[in-house]
Amino acid sequence: MLELDEKFFSRFGAEYSPNEIIFCEYEPGYEFYFIQKGRVRIVKIINDMEKTIDVLGPGDVFGEMAILEEQPRSATAIAMDSVRVLKFHRDNFDALLQGNPQLAYKLLLIFSKRIYDAKRRLMILLLEEPNVKVMDVLIMLAEQNQQFDFESEITLNTTVRQVASWAGMAESEAQKELTHLARLDKIELYEDRIVVKNIRDFQRIVASRRKNLYSS
Amino acid sequence: MSNGLQSGIRTRTYKSGSIIYFEGDKSEYIYILKSGRVFLTYTKVDTGEEVKEEVRQGEFFGVKSALGRYPREETAQTVGETIVVILTLADFERMILRNVNIVRKMLRVFSNQLRRIGKAVRTVLGESENVNPDIELFKIGEHYFKAGDFSKANYVFKKYLEYYPETDYGKIAMERIKTINSGGPVKSKAAADDFEDFSMEHDSSDVFSFDEVPSGSKKLPDKGDINPAASSALSSEMDDFLADESDSIDDFGDFGLEEESKPKDTIKIKFEDGESAFKKGNFKGALEIFNEIIDSGLPSSDRDRHYFIDAHFYAGVCYYEMKKYKESMNLLAEIIKNWSDSEKYKSAVFYAAQIFEAAGQKDKAITYYNRVLNIQPTDSLNGAALNKIKALQKGGK
Repeated sequence: MLELDEKFFSRFGAEYSPNEIIFCEYEPGYEFYFIQKGRVRIVKIINDMEKTIDVLGPGDVFGEMAILEEQPRSATAIAMDSVRVLKFHRDNFDALLQGNPQLAYKLLLIFSKRIYDAKRRLMILLLEEPNVKVMDVLIMLAEQNQQFDFESEITLNTTVRQVASWAGMAESEAQKELTHLARLDKIELYEDRIVVKNIRDFQRIVASRRKNLYSS
Repeated sequence: MSNGLQSGIRTRTYKSGSIIYFEGDKSEYIYILKSGRVFLTYTKVDTGEEVKEEVRQGEFFGVKSALGRYPREETAQTVGETIVVILTLADFERMILRNVNIVRKMLRVFSNQLRRIGKAVRTVLGESENVNPDIELFKIGEHYFKAGDFSKANYVFKKYLEYYPETDYGKIAMERIKTINSGGPVKSKAAADDFEDFSMEHDSSDVFSFDEVPSGSKKLPDKGDINPAASSALSSEMDDFLADESDSIDDFGDFGLEEESKPKDTIKIKFEDGESAFKKGNFKGALEIFNEIIDSGLPSSDRDRHYFIDAHFYAGVCYYEMKKYKESMNLLAEIIKNWSDSEKYKSAVFYAAQIFEAAGQKDKAITYYNRVLNIQPTDSLNGAALNKIKALQKGGK
């Protein structure tokens, strides 16, 4: 979390009230944001439905693609509660980095993580069968928690909706696949979590499918 | 790597052909190539093709996976005797705090990679690359407008006019803003969805076959009878409007007329009475009240509609608790057939399954429990339904 003084905030600070749009998908964007207080929902309108891609909190950065590129916003950012952010224009970026090298480091961390997540997601999407996709999402979620022992049962705090969104499929389809796995006793499906009985099993299946994918 | 880790930065010399790290390793070290040669070998995510890249002298490698704390994505191998600088995360942080230019360079590389991957993801998802941001921005405004989220719609339309003042939908965006500022169309999102999903695709005769005689339940008002203006207004409005914008603007005048006459709280109060009796386990008393609500017919106000539907549900559950399965099924069937968008829909299907089970109609019970599994969102009923299915299947063999 960045410690910045009040003077800094008065220059770069901005506040949003609950449910207020901070920026909208397809709007040109020149600024990026550091959350100081509150939560921000990142959403996209897909097939006329608002889908939440991410929920960010204090210390998180969003809109960072605007730093180096001239592209319209790729998603909409909406304040969930009273939100306080630091808002930096790309033109100030160099000055900002010079004055706040710890911010530069933080940005590197964020980009590293984003690249990995995006790549991992792409690997899931490239799988062909929906059931394998769903398995790979569960693997990915398991990988995100360093504490997990892959040799035993794993409890993932996730929902059908989240799995569907990672797998790039409709919620109903993800539900069908997850239910099928539950029926086979491979997982237990709850409202707010999924228990995977044997994640190694899924890893083997996904790895072999991925191999076939490339060789064909 | 056991050689002395001092607070200073250390180097290490590798023989030719040594592996500095393997793909899949987890490690927090970041390297700089000082002399010699290092090749990174990795598999391309989208093609499975193996790629070999040479690190240039003075370049960092192993940065992303160390910073992101994820497994190495490539294998690093030396060619010829090679010296590398080994940095811990703390070393790296100290180093870049002194030299912001490194960061800027890395950010540019990272940003490029992120964009490439993002593009690949969009391609796989079938999202078109060639979209017009102006039209898409407008569509988002329309989405929020249609959903009744007017403050968001207002923001988006304003931005649209700010960035794309000369484009096709400017006039409509302006109209929308006016409509919103004058209090907004009264109809909420419910109107658009209400009866669109009305569907008989499920073999609804199943429900009735529990009772040999076709159900004698009172006929509910037909879809068309229910405030037809309300159900069609918004949804068709939106469809028309893209085809012919001038018409739609005129039609917007109609929205103001849909003011509800007078809020009738009586149904709400009655419902709460029924609910409290129900919670006390007084099913008979609750049933009387819920039946009254049902007999009074579908409320004209959308706001009250759910009391009417929920009354069916609770009355059905009352009958179920009283083991009057036929009556219960008749009421639940109304919900299953007519109100798949109701919050009670999933529970109604679950109760129907329980009734079939109680009546010994195992196959149908399984069918209905299965149906529960496919209704979103996933909740505690899923686990319950799944357990029921397993138990029923086990019991049968």
